[in-house]
Amino acid sequence: MAKYITKRILMSLLTLFLITFVLFVLIRIMPGDPFPVERMSAEMILQKRAELGLDKPILIQFSDYMSMLMQGNFGNGTSLYNGAPIKPILIKCMENSFKIGVISILFGTTAGLFLGITAALNRGKFLDGLCTVFSILGVCIPSYVFMIFLQYFFSYKIPFFPYFFDPSRFLFSSIMPSISLSLFTVSTVARFTRNEMVEVMNSDYVKLAESKGLYGFELIRKHILRNALIPIVTVIAPLVVDLMTGAMVMEKIYGVNGIGKLMVDAIAGEGIDYNYVLALGIVFSALYIGIMLILDILYGIIDPRIRIAAKETK
Amino acid sequence: MKKFLLLTLLIFATLIIGCGDESASKDKLSVMLGSNVVSLDTAQATDSASFEVIADCIDGLMQLDSDGKAIPAIAESFDISEDGKTYTFHLRDAKWSNGDDVTADDFVFAWRRHCQKAEEYSYMLGSTVACVKNADAVIKGADPKTLGVSAPDSKTFVVELDAPVSFFPALMTFPTFFPINEKFYNSLSDGTYGTSPDTFLSNGAFVLTEYLPGTANIQLKKNSSYWNADKVTLNDWQYQVVSSSDNALTSFKNGTLNVVTISGNQVEHVKQDAELSKNLNTIAAGSLNYISFNQDPKNNHGGALANANLRLAISNAVDRESLVNNYIMDGSEATYTAIPVKFAPNAETGKYFAEDQKQFSDYVGFDVKKAREYFEKAKSELNKDKFTLNLIYANDSGDTIVKVVQAIKSQVEENLPGITLNLQPMPKAEYLSKVTSDSYDIAVTNWVPDYDDPMTFFTLWTTEGCEIAEHWSNAQYDKIIADCTTGELAANYNARWAAMYDAEKILLENAVIAPLYTNANSVLISSNVKGIEFHAAGVDRVFKSVTTK
Amino acid sequence: MNKIYTPQKEDFEFIGERNINIDLNFASQGYWKGVAIHFLRNKFAVTGVILVGIIILFAIFAPILSSYSYQEIISITDSSGKEIVAKSLTPQIADSESQKIFSDKTFIFGTDDMGRDLWTRTWQGARVSLIIAFVTIFIDMLIGTSYGLISGYFGGTVDNIMQRFIEIAGSIPTLVIISILAVFMEKGIGLVIASLLITEWIGMSKIARAECLKLKEREYVLASRTLGAGNFHIIFKQILPNTIGPIITQVMFSIPVAIFTEAFLSFVGVGIVLPQCSIGSLIEAGFNNITILPYQILPPISVLAVLMLGFNLIGDGFREALAPKIEDM
Repeated sequence: MAKYITKRILMSLLTLFLITFVLFVLIRIMPGDPFPVERMSAEMILQKRAELGLDKPILIQFSDYMSMLMQGNFGNGTSLYNGAPIKPILIKCMENSFKIGVISILFGTTAGLFLGITAALNRGKFLDGLCTVFSILGVCIPSYVFMIFLQYFFSYKIPFFPYFFDPSRFLFSSIMPSISLSLFTVSTVARFTRNEMVEVMNSDYVKLAESKGLYGFELIRKHILRNALIPIVTVIAPLVVDLMTGAMVMEKIYGVNGIGKLMVDAIAGEGIDYNYVLALGIVFSALYIGIMLILDILYGIIDPRIRIAAKETK
Repeated sequence: MKKFLLLTLLIFATLIIGCGDESASKDKLSVMLGSNVVSLDTAQATDSASFEVIADCIDGLMQLDSDGKAIPAIAESFDISEDGKTYTFHLRDAKWSNGDDVTADDFVFAWRRHCQKAEEYSYMLGSTVACVKNADAVIKGADPKTLGVSAPDSKTFVVELDAPVSFFPALMTFPTFFPINEKFYNSLSDGTYGTSPDTFLSNGAFVLTEYLPGTANIQLKKNSSYWNADKVTLNDWQYQVVSSSDNALTSFKNGTLNVVTISGNQVEHVKQDAELSKNLNTIAAGSLNYISFNQDPKNNHGGALANANLRLAISNAVDRESLVNNYIMDGSEATYTAIPVKFAPNAETGKYFAEDQKQFSDYVGFDVKKAREYFEKAKSELNKDKFTLNLIYANDSGDTIVKVVQAIKSQVEENLPGITLNLQPMPKAEYLSKVTSDSYDIAVTNWVPDYDDPMTFFTLWTTEGCEIAEHWSNAQYDKIIADCTTGELAANYNARWAAMYDAEKILLENAVIAPLYTNANSVLISSNVKGIEFHAAGVDRVFKSVTTK
Repeated sequence: MNKIYTPQKEDFEFIGERNINIDLNFASQGYWKGVAIHFLRNKFAVTGVILVGIIILFAIFAPILSSYSYQEIISITDSSGKEIVAKSLTPQIADSESQKIFSDKTFIFGTDDMGRDLWTRTWQGARVSLIIAFVTIFIDMLIGTSYGLISGYFGGTVDNIMQRFIEIAGSIPTLVIISILAVFMEKGIGLVIASLLITEWIGMSKIARAECLKLKEREYVLASRTLGAGNFHIIFKQILPNTIGPIITQVMFSIPVAIFTEAFLSFVGVGIVLPQCSIGSLIEAGFNNITILPYQILPPISVLAVLMLGFNLIGDGFREALAPKIEDM
């Protein structure tokens, strides 16, 4: 197992390196300069490019960048925020996005699991239909529309929640953004849970357990949920990345200073801030790869069969 | 299971109730910013939001009064030498918010630094605008000590110019010319200046209390050590970044924001509401929206636009009144001159430069018959019947531009059968790289004036001039502009003014550009907020004398 | 010694057609026939087909039959007899008598803030969105399936490299990809399709790979290999047909995702070029005025919701119809 994990980690690092390289090259193909040029003369633009080292061969630029990265430094911005060091700003933005992301994952999975389990236990009955309709609605309505309606009703019509996100009242003002963000998670998890539960409930071992006299919560927890959990975790994992990397539209509507917004600012401003795009790209991929890695290891914990299989193949 | 459920519900309930009582003070002034503050470093700021926040916190040598006239700020007074080329500013006793005195050296340091850093706005010091001695050379890498600024003593700041600049005092209200406390700056680690309240010093009316790069919420409070602190009544207030006009309107209605800018559809809605419409103010902004034609004969579509008749045809096929009344609807004014309508008043007569919108009606207007005549001429000169042209625009600035380009496409295609316009939206950076690298036919563009003089526009179209490459070159036009900026006319106010009309005529006769409209902002202001000053050029809004009740 | 007797042609005799009894009640049926029956018995799935069918019909015929073109800015006569642009009109039926409230023209969904008929634009948008979805998903299916099958079948190093490639391709932000593509392509439907192609095939390939990993250990694959079948014969002739079920299910779920992504691209301003429209660009346009002109966003949102609902129901139906069969094998 340890050997397997080490191998997986090394592989992930290699992938991350390749991603950085590809991203580095691609960003340099993007149209536009990494600084605002509207009022600059051609000569000044050349001068500025030389100053940023953009006139060097790309491999040298890349090795410069990597050596900087190795020191745990993402460099300075080129068009955003005074050319200040990126790391503290990135960390601040990640903090906001992650916190809201975590709340919406918690809310989304709890609500989703609850809905899914309720539906599965009442299969074919009215409650099942209700849960199905709700979960399908969640997939059908774009979340940004849902967001604006939530904001309109609960912050404007009934002015209970603050209209904008306010970091100084973090929990209270992040309720609306989190709920609107979790809509998709709720419905996906609910649907998946229901289907998996139904499948597991029809399986022979559950029938055996039932015939042994197990019933109710005990049965669900010990036999059904545990087995249904594996595919559910698979579904949740990519959603976690999506939520954590920030929903651009949500951050725009509620005025959250998060990494989704940072990405848009870095790309869609007067200059494309190469270093921000790179730093964000690396963080996104690292998150994605990291979560996939954890997932692989988690499988072993949730599912004893995989643990045993891994031992046997060793 | 039930217990678990109950627990979850309980947790959420406590969260909601527990946080609910922390009520925000509703009486605090909240102002909408349309976009992010990109930088608080005066050398690096490029956008109006940044300029506005900088100007809230830092005073320059001069400031604009409510009518847009330059009046002394940090400079108590100034002397001009007889040839108009040397300005001596006498500074008043002002303090930075850390207690240091504001000295002439702070200005010398800031100005040298700007030239040395050679960011986008360093051109303001160069020969097309302020004409500070040696500025161009320093921007290109010469020793910053050679820049024509000096501080004979701590309260005297001397600027030497290459040519007399009639609007020089007004320029001093622009953030690029603001001071930076050298000692404080040097005590910070590289690149951190202006990234938090701790790394930013005020000498102006307000200090930052909460700011982070990219933040949507900026908190400010009164600076008690401000030299003119008696006149400032506003204490705590904040900016909130809101990018959607619909969001802005609802947050105004619900009282979250007190000052918001809204666009067309929202303006129409507000006008139908008797209560809300009382809060509506239409404020003329000085920025000009115009069509830029790429006249490079080697351009992708056979250089069709190098033909003046084709350009005149397009310019005359656009119904600007309809654009303004049907699609923009925020008080913007149709414009038939190369200079925006309510901009650059003459120092002597007080009349705006472009007061007479009819003076070039022979070339710019809406006249389908004339447009078709031009188009026939163009067709026979070019031996072509059908023209497909790419129209590019930057789509970052809200939905107004999107409506405008669609209306232009519809009008031009209807009035000039044979022309097809392909709309090409793109992010700002890509758009800028296209217009500077010659890969476009037509661009709908917008120019925000940096200072209150027509020259902020005219220098755009010289051969050397601008980045947005119309690829049009006219020796006579270049000569007039050169005469007016650094040449013989620079010192003669009236002759210079008259010469600029000649330049404008050359420009419009050849339809180098097709002016469309002058921007205006529709601003909703709560009835208890008084005293916001709006300006057409430079810093858009000033909050120094705002009162709330 | 014993010579093996080889049967001769003469040994056989045609005895004509006999009446063989075939059990009509429990007729053996083909795999797909079974799936179809299962599918059609599912009320939800059929509802899905009907919903999608209706939208497709409208998307095809409504723009043709409409009296306005989708990009035409319409003028109406106002109460004082002046020609004005028919912008931001609420849904209305032509009313020649009381011109104060209604205009002389019919707008079933009203008009947008440019003065164009929303009825026509909604269906034109649905058409564009559906075309985008079908084209991308079809090509993605081809690419993704082949990629996943090859990766899963060969396993080992090949699989490892191919999976790393997926990780790399999947981690590059969509906005970056689109801006780069935009250098080589004109903005518009083509660009949207291209960027969806680049990002959407990954999910498909994962499903195909998982199926392939399961199937390649089966006896029939082994048999086929023993008989000398080449790798590609096995992949595309033996394994592929058995993965079609899950892949089609995935396709049904992917179509709404493609429509959604297209909507998102339009929302961030890199999608369809106006005045051309798609469901996404219509939603984006309506979104700017959602609280003051809510009727503008309702038609595209409803069409989107119905489409999503329809495709999801069909997908669910497919999955349920296929599931028992997969377990039987």
